[in-house]
Amino acid sequence: MSMPNSHSHTTANKDTRFNDVHSTGAGGSGRWSTKRIAVYALFVALAMVLSFFSFPIFPAAPWLKYDPSGIVVLVCGFAFGPAAAAIISVLGFVPHLFTNPFGALISMIVALALSVPAALVYRRIHSRKGAVIGIVSGAILGVIAAILCNVVITPFYAHMSMAKVVAMIVPTLLPFNLMKFAIHGVVTFLIYKPISRLINK
Amino acid sequence: MAASMTQSAVPDSADSTAMVARLSHVSFSYDGGRTWALDNLSMEVHAGEHLCILGANGSGKSTLGSILSGATAPDRGQVELMGRAVCSDTPDQGRQVDAEAYRQVRRSIGMVFQNPEDQIVTTVVQDDVAFGPENLGLPRQRMLSCVPAALKQVDLQTRMNDDPTRMSGGQQQRLALAGSLAMNPSMMVLDEPGAMLDAAGRQEIQSILCRLTAQGTAVVHITHLLEQARQADRVLVLDHGHILAFGRPDEILNRQDLPALVDDISLARRSQPDRNSLTQSRASKTDAKTTVDNHTISMVKFSDVSYRFPDAGRKTLNQVNLELASGQTLAIIGRNGSGKSTLARLICALAVPDSGSIQVAGLPLAGPDRPKAKHQRRQNLRLLRQRVGYVMQYPEHQLFADTVAQDIAYGPRNLGYEPQQVQQRVDETMKLLGIADLADRSPFDLSGGQRRLVAIAGVVACSPQLLVLDEVTASLDPQARARIMTLLRVLHQRGVTIVMSTHADREALNLADQTLLLEHGETLAYGSTADVVERYHQLLATDGTVKEATGKETPRKEAGRTQTDNKPVSLLARLDPRAKLVTFLLAMFTAFAISTPTQLVLALVVTVGLFAAARAPLRSMMNSVKGFLVLMLLLALFNLLVTQTGRRLAVWGPFVLTTGGIWVAVLYACRFMLIIFLGALLVETTTPTQMADACESLLSPLSRLGIHTNEIALVLSLALRFIPTLRREIQAIAEAQAARGGSIESGSLSQRLHAATAITVPVFAGALRHADNLSRALDARCYEGSRQQRTHYRLLQLGRMDILFIALMSLYLLALLLHPLF
Repeated sequence: MSMPNSHSHTTANKDTRFNDVHSTGAGGSGRWSTKRIAVYALFVALAMVLSFFSFPIFPAAPWLKYDPSGIVVLVCGFAFGPAAAAIISVLGFVPHLFTNPFGALISMIVALALSVPAALVYRRIHSRKGAVIGIVSGAILGVIAAILCNVVITPFYAHMSMAKVVAMIVPTLLPFNLMKFAIHGVVTFLIYKPISRLINK
Repeated sequence: MAASMTQSAVPDSADSTAMVARLSHVSFSYDGGRTWALDNLSMEVHAGEHLCILGANGSGKSTLGSILSGATAPDRGQVELMGRAVCSDTPDQGRQVDAEAYRQVRRSIGMVFQNPEDQIVTTVVQDDVAFGPENLGLPRQRMLSCVPAALKQVDLQTRMNDDPTRMSGGQQQRLALAGSLAMNPSMMVLDEPGAMLDAAGRQEIQSILCRLTAQGTAVVHITHLLEQARQADRVLVLDHGHILAFGRPDEILNRQDLPALVDDISLARRSQPDRNSLTQSRASKTDAKTTVDNHTISMVKFSDVSYRFPDAGRKTLNQVNLELASGQTLAIIGRNGSGKSTLARLICALAVPDSGSIQVAGLPLAGPDRPKAKHQRRQNLRLLRQRVGYVMQYPEHQLFADTVAQDIAYGPRNLGYEPQQVQQRVDETMKLLGIADLADRSPFDLSGGQRRLVAIAGVVACSPQLLVLDEVTASLDPQARARIMTLLRVLHQRGVTIVMSTHADREALNLADQTLLLEHGETLAYGSTADVVERYHQLLATDGTVKEATGKETPRKEAGRTQTDNKPVSLLARLDPRAKLVTFLLAMFTAFAISTPTQLVLALVVTVGLFAAARAPLRSMMNSVKGFLVLMLLLALFNLLVTQTGRRLAVWGPFVLTTGGIWVAVLYACRFMLIIFLGALLVETTTPTQMADACESLLSPLSRLGIHTNEIALVLSLALRFIPTLRREIQAIAEAQAARGGSIESGSLSQRLHAATAITVPVFAGALRHADNLSRALDARCYEGSRQQRTHYRLLQLGRMDILFIALMSLYLLALLLHPLF
């Protein structure tokens, strides 16, 4: 897998990925380029749209639904670094704040736990192997975050004690989340190569 | 400075005041100097002139436009814009870009691009127009007059408060023009503004451009349509980065020695009164039948088919009848939004009609004959995918594989052919379309025309008996169009039945045995092509005059609700969005703290009060929360059964119904409902722009920590605006891949993953394509983020009403939270 060079956020010329030799220089420094804003906006929009495409994947727990937005935050983290991943993870679930406020917060936390570590690892180890390690470590943290959040949140929706929810971890929460993050990871791994080529064009 | 030296060295500097742009020996390369998109090119644009730049795809005309607009700098040569040297090139110092000068001159240059949708930045027409002036830092008073004035120039003054994402392409493009005009530019550069519009839309743009030049704005119009060049003051013909001709239109357009023009000129001639050639071609087809006689099999048969989009006011298709014999070609014509695409989707079983019956390729898709059993339906669908090929509008958007050959192989492989057969089909199809040399290239590296051909090949390789094409030649240059027409002719000779929708493309109509004219989803004419086309022209002519008289247009088909301008603005909608956002969110989060009947009643009273203040349309809101209500009922049922406190009321086996269970079910359901209704109310009474403005304002303290709050707010607002665009696109791609037999729902794991990739990759590619266009549109409107002093069209100011509202809501929240203490 040919992976692009790491994107450094620390130097003054932070928008190298979004610039080229034909720049008029009017972009200036110390702010985001319009290219960066546009790419982030479209990735946020994509995460928003995909977060509404939710469907059950685990027959034993039909109320737990899979949505593909996690793929967007992973791809974004690989392509543009952890800061971008964090922005997309948070903004991508803003519309859900108005329908399911706690659910939206959970989604944000889980997306952050998944994408930011994955992006950090991939920035260090910029190879196919790094991508796998990144996805796996992000997925592990994501699963943990998802389960912890679920334990806290479920009593808000259903009249259950936390202990009862904890009892649900092994039979439902864990297998569902493992499935969810496995799909995220595999699809991201499959599509990242062609997409990174498009991004770097 | 080198820049000023060069300028003073130009002998006729007095002349340069009358020039808005001057390029000298400009060269531009996309690949670091291996090939040159523009090669040593010199030209100038006079103040107030109407200059038309003509050229085929790949001639360098867009690159030239981009340099003229100050969006990009060339590799070599000098650029002077608005009389200032922005890019200089001297032997001793090399190329020098003056960034500050570029920034300055760009404020006087407007730019409008091909894709109307990608230039819209917000969801309210007047806010969108105000975006440029805001970036220029115009005082609010000036904006209040220049925004309506710009809208008036493009005849959109009655649509100030509409949602542009629900407007037609032509209206969107006029809005993009207004967004530029509001910045009062000295020069406007338009890159194929009519390429994605129908004839009526193009005509509107053209007449606006003529008005502009009359006002003294220089207009640079890039196009490949000759008809649009006739009205220009000067015409520049570009070919492979060189100027082929430059002069008055009457001198240039009648020349026969210009290879770039020959194709197009012949086309333009043909588009003159053409009844003869049409009737001839039809006569040669030995009495082509418009009705199918008993001996031939009908490939497509529609009886009284009607279709309505969910939530749409009127039917997209109403009582459509048609019958097409095997081997024949049907053209569907009509304007944007007339229902052409929906008809194509119905034929391919990508949508199911509300009433009527459909039979395609011998398979009953709708009506009484449609099989009731699920497995039989699925079997039918699989057969249909084998027999019917579907080429969606802009089919290049569905490309996903690493190589052209792999992409074309996707359909045949899904149909279950052996690897060898797949290979054979791919090779044959590539040869048929003349793209065999592209086999190992990435589809994303190809030109627009090539990608269109590859995408069509991906459908043709499945050897369909019936091929359905939706606007297959849209925004292609004449060369690519000609190749597609040749392909259709070959397929026709091989006996393939063809259904194609078109904006009345002459070439396409020449192939048709029969033509169907749709208007507002109804059949206006159906029969011999010549007659139907004549009826279409009558329609366009009468409609043009009607439109001028009333200033109204047909809304885009996606428009679920039509907005009215004189809708009274409710109390809630007038409130400061920050006050609403914070208090509503707090009320939503605290809904979970409700646990006693008193609290519940209090919360319900406040919510009802808010609804009254909003005068919210309950019915449409109920529609938007319908899905959640179902979920809520399920949850209520769950709570009813798991809670076993209180008095026992009934027992069914393991299920016990108790008073405690009923109370919990009601309480939890009510909490849920409160949250959903409050959220829906907030969204209903607050535009995305207001929401983004509120976020920016509320987050602004964080900017001291070095967080780009202004930019984050813009990202959020742009994202909200692009949701409908992406949703439509994802649906179109998923449908097109489904038509090629790719399904996530069925098949082996690897097949499903492959199907997921075939949808996900094009979706990301589409998002990146929109991002690319959008960033250019943001540049064209001089957005510079926190670096500039932006002004605001909408003033955020906490008034007396807002304070009162905050006070009341705080009281409610306090009462709610303190209640358990008493």
